[in-house]
Amino acid sequence: MSTGVSTDAPVHVASRTTRGRRPRQNFETWSWFFMRISGLVLVFLALVHFALTHIVNDVVETDAVFVADRWENPLWRLFDWTLLALALLHGLNGLRWSIDDYVRSPARRAWVKAGVYTLSGVLFAYGTFTIVTFA
Amino acid sequence: MSSTTVYKGRSGQWAFVAHRITGVLVFLFLLLHIVDVSLINLSAELYDEVHQLYGNVLLRLFEVGLLFALLFHSLNGLRLVAVDFFPGAVRNERRLLSAVVVLTVAVGVPCGYVIMKPFIDGTLLG
Repeated sequence: MSTGVSTDAPVHVASRTTRGRRPRQNFETWSWFFMRISGLVLVFLALVHFALTHIVNDVVETDAVFVADRWENPLWRLFDWTLLALALLHGLNGLRWSIDDYVRSPARRAWVKAGVYTLSGVLFAYGTFTIVTFA
Repeated sequence: MSSTTVYKGRSGQWAFVAHRITGVLVFLFLLLHIVDVSLINLSAELYDEVHQLYGNVLLRLFEVGLLFALLFHSLNGLRLVAVDFFPGAVRNERRLLSAVVVLTVAVGVPCGYVIMKPFIDGTLLG
């Protein structure tokens, strides 16, 4: 990447400022990066989870006894909690992008976001409580 | 500058729309799923009672839909990662989308059959 000013062409003010600017790594850059990384992990976690609860076992077999057997192993609790946390964050960020695109009025946008964030936060806490405290 | 940008991405634009719709659907199901699984902490009987509903024909169809949404969103997401990180993938972006659709159907149909099998076999009524 060129940092200096090119000498073989007339330099325009606009191109000079563009070239001299460092790529900014703001919140949206990290949000984009998070979606890629969490997405890659979720492809594995979500598809394994779905396969185990709908294909390998029939859905009616995944009763309370099935859950108790599985959660005997703390690694399955970790698996499920990671899936819960990443899927919620990934989904919430995707929803945030969609809200920004479609809810144009600033007041309504703020209300919709407040509602979505609150509901997701409460359910994240509730889901975490379930996975951690189940005995 | 002042005119609205119109994105004419053709197939890429449909992939974008489908990615959003499937994403929202999976997210809404996740919220519901947290609630139904958490019933297990209140009472195992209540959990089992609610959970048996998932064996119902209508909810099995819903699960097949969820599977297709999950498959498309996963595979198209891999396509997005490929396009963002590998310049070669950008040139083959169209072909990659075809692969996403073909794989979604190729995996979704047999797995959907497995989900519907108890109903197809007649062991499950209504």
